[in-house]
Amino acid sequence: MLTSEQSIVEYKAGRAVPDRLRQKTHRHYLDYAEKILSVYRNGIGRQRRRLHQQIEAVFADEPDCPVRRIQAFCKLLDDGSAFQADPSGEAGKLRLEVFSQAARFHPLVEQPDRLFEHEEKGVKSQLADKLAAPWDQIEQALYADVMAYQKLERFAGCPDPAALLSRYNVAQLQACLYKAESMTVTATDDLKTIVRYAKLARLLHEIVRLGPSKYRIVFSGPASVLRGTRRYGVNFAKFLPALLACKGWKMTALVKTPWNQPAKLVLCDKDGFTSHLPPPDEFDSALEESFAKKFGPERNGWQLIREGEILYDHQKTFSPDFTFRHKTGTQVFLEIVGFWTPEYLAYKRQTLQQFAHHKILIALPEKSIREGATPGENILTYKTALKIKPLMETLERTRTENTTT
Amino acid sequence: MTAMESQKRMSLSFDRGTLLLRGLQCRESPNVPGSSVWVWDARVGAWRCDAIHYASIGSTLNHKFSPHLRDDLPQPARVSWPKIELPQLRPEQAEALAAWTREGCRGQVIMPTGTGKTEVAFAAMAETKVATLVVAPVRDLMYQWHRRILATFGYDAGIVGDGLSNIKPITVTTYDSAYIHMDKMGAGFGLLIFDEEHHLPGKCRREAAILSTAAMRLGLTATPERSDGLHKDLDWLIGPVVYNMPFKRAKGSTLADFDVVRIPVALNDREQATYDQCSRAIRHFLISRRNDIPGYSWRDLCKESGKDPQARHAQKAYYLKQSIENRAAEKLRVLEDIFRLHNGRKTIVFAGSNAMAIEVSKRFLVPTILSHTRKRERLAVLQGFAEGQFGVLVANRVLDEGVDVPEAKVAVVIGGQGSTRQAKQRLGRVLRRSGNARATLYEVVCENTKEVMRSRKRRRSDAYERTVHRRI
Repeated sequence: MLTSEQSIVEYKAGRAVPDRLRQKTHRHYLDYAEKILSVYRNGIGRQRRRLHQQIEAVFADEPDCPVRRIQAFCKLLDDGSAFQADPSGEAGKLRLEVFSQAARFHPLVEQPDRLFEHEEKGVKSQLADKLAAPWDQIEQALYADVMAYQKLERFAGCPDPAALLSRYNVAQLQACLYKAESMTVTATDDLKTIVRYAKLARLLHEIVRLGPSKYRIVFSGPASVLRGTRRYGVNFAKFLPALLACKGWKMTALVKTPWNQPAKLVLCDKDGFTSHLPPPDEFDSALEESFAKKFGPERNGWQLIREGEILYDHQKTFSPDFTFRHKTGTQVFLEIVGFWTPEYLAYKRQTLQQFAHHKILIALPEKSIREGATPGENILTYKTALKIKPLMETLERTRTENTTT
Repeated sequence: MTAMESQKRMSLSFDRGTLLLRGLQCRESPNVPGSSVWVWDARVGAWRCDAIHYASIGSTLNHKFSPHLRDDLPQPARVSWPKIELPQLRPEQAEALAAWTREGCRGQVIMPTGTGKTEVAFAAMAETKVATLVVAPVRDLMYQWHRRILATFGYDAGIVGDGLSNIKPITVTTYDSAYIHMDKMGAGFGLLIFDEEHHLPGKCRREAAILSTAAMRLGLTATPERSDGLHKDLDWLIGPVVYNMPFKRAKGSTLADFDVVRIPVALNDREQATYDQCSRAIRHFLISRRNDIPGYSWRDLCKESGKDPQARHAQKAYYLKQSIENRAAEKLRVLEDIFRLHNGRKTIVFAGSNAMAIEVSKRFLVPTILSHTRKRERLAVLQGFAEGQFGVLVANRVLDEGVDVPEAKVAVVIGGQGSTRQAKQRLGRVLRRSGNARATLYEVVCENTKEVMRSRKRRRSDAYERTVHRRI
């Protein structure tokens, strides 16, 4: 990730537009990307500041290139690199030794006289003899641990120039989000993934159902309700790659301009940003996949939607594996429990109790039912695969109950 | 009363830098007239406020809702010190401590550098005996507090920052780390000490004070004013100013008397040629722009530099000028003269940048203290300097504030930006009392450059009243 000092954002008409290198306008950047990648690929053993100077030189004659863009590229390349860090403090030891030995010659003068007879060059070559190395080499090693002077050891790099440019684009989006105070996502797909990753990024949500499988989710942090704060900007930035990997969403983040004016960063899944994360798996298990195939997209007026709704109660959320939506409007959920332990079942039971006012069916492996126990009427059991017939009966029963009540 | 039913199970807890009050409905506000700190948080279905309010709302809540309210906040640990080795406080230190205690252990103590603010803080810690977090501006200062707490109390304090996160009843940290981590540790301390408190009121850093429940707070500084005026907020972030010792009282008493000597240096021909060329380029560019856009400013130039190579060249020229000033070769020669003149007296050199500090170090083979110098080397260098093993010490800017430097009698400023605060702090470094010897502060500035302006600005501070100009 970039630092705020490398962030480039243009503010116009209330919009925040992070720097983006596009195919159309920045085609020639592919050449630059190739060049700067090869600077690092061929730069093993070179000092960090030398590498940065080389990168700067690549862009020297490019009219369209702010200094921050160059610095951002340096940061992204550095992030993919390993530098000699001198963990055992060799340079520090050398410094103490050299300075201790030189102390009695202080001050090292250019022109010796009667009072000060220690001439700089003479003392230095004397020290070099003592340390059995040429002075140039000693001088180089003296501050080798300082960031700017560290030498490149490895470069993991980037598969190709295009990948570097898309990484740059995402990094600028993230850096813009550092200044964000809240983020609103309107989503129709991948709801479960979106909410799960936001929770992993330690964000709080406020969910509003806009219609069938359509939600507006406002993300923020604990103190956001008290005052505008950028505290959670890093959390938004961490969450972003997960969002970019999903489909069917629009996002608006509220940011503050450097002049403390509100501005919006607007984004959607069609904007063509590439996440380093893979898109979410369509199915959690083979069991779910085979069931969905068997059922088909629709059956007897019941439409099957995978993870189509989020049930929520303050910060507790539950996204059942499947939603059955009847054309009359009745909605029934199905949660398939594959893997199970007594604790997991207890946890599921508690979740179901919390959302008891929804119609939720639960499919349990037969083995998990205690012998002699009669499962409740919202329980379906299965051995290896879920059977359609009993499911349809239960669905129909729910629908008639629904219409009669 | 309809609220009574729901009051049966109320709880107050710490939630990432805020207080959560559960068990009341949205319509049952816990706010009392004149103080509306609580805000209804629909996301969690509870009332929420900033942790800083804990001290003021705690008793009201208990009064209003006890015994239905359960306070789940951890009580800050009591501390029993292994030992207390604190020197007898000087009258002004005792005065400061008494004033702070009178205010209910909340407030700011303003004392010039070198007059023993740390001892006031230690006396406060020794008296309050409660879990304490010390917040310092930079890592160096954080480690310095750690060292001095160990020496004074025999207590090995926890460290949060510099890649460490070891929270103990007594912990030291930096402002940046406090901002990041206070949401985790904000409920654990009874006393917060803000060293160089003028760093606190920044837009983000202030959250270090807001996200903590600590009832007792002590702010320390020599220079509370901020050019943005935000120092006013310290009144509620920490507490009122309880003690203010003017700089004049310190001069000549605790601090040594001092001379300020300004040495102008000329750029060499090559440097001057480049410098003038850069100046011309910038002026040229600005004039041509201002023909089209009256009032075209430096900020406009920076904004344009991404799109316009000409603007970018002008920007580069400006930075080049700065680096020429900072690293003028002549400065190294003057430094040699100063070293000759004061050979045998401890001398500290303040460079404007890491690069210049390293350049001086490599030229004269003298040790440096840079921001990334590790703990062990730092100790060895400072100790070597104190014991006279090293006659010279070079620093970039990290010694600007508060870092205890073994007494030095000569200081040389060869670069850096001019601001009143830095000037005072730097003087504090060299002016520590030692015998009758007068201290000297040299300012080495380039002639015919912007640096001369900065030096004038520096001298406006009352610390620079007597300045001698000298050519070497």
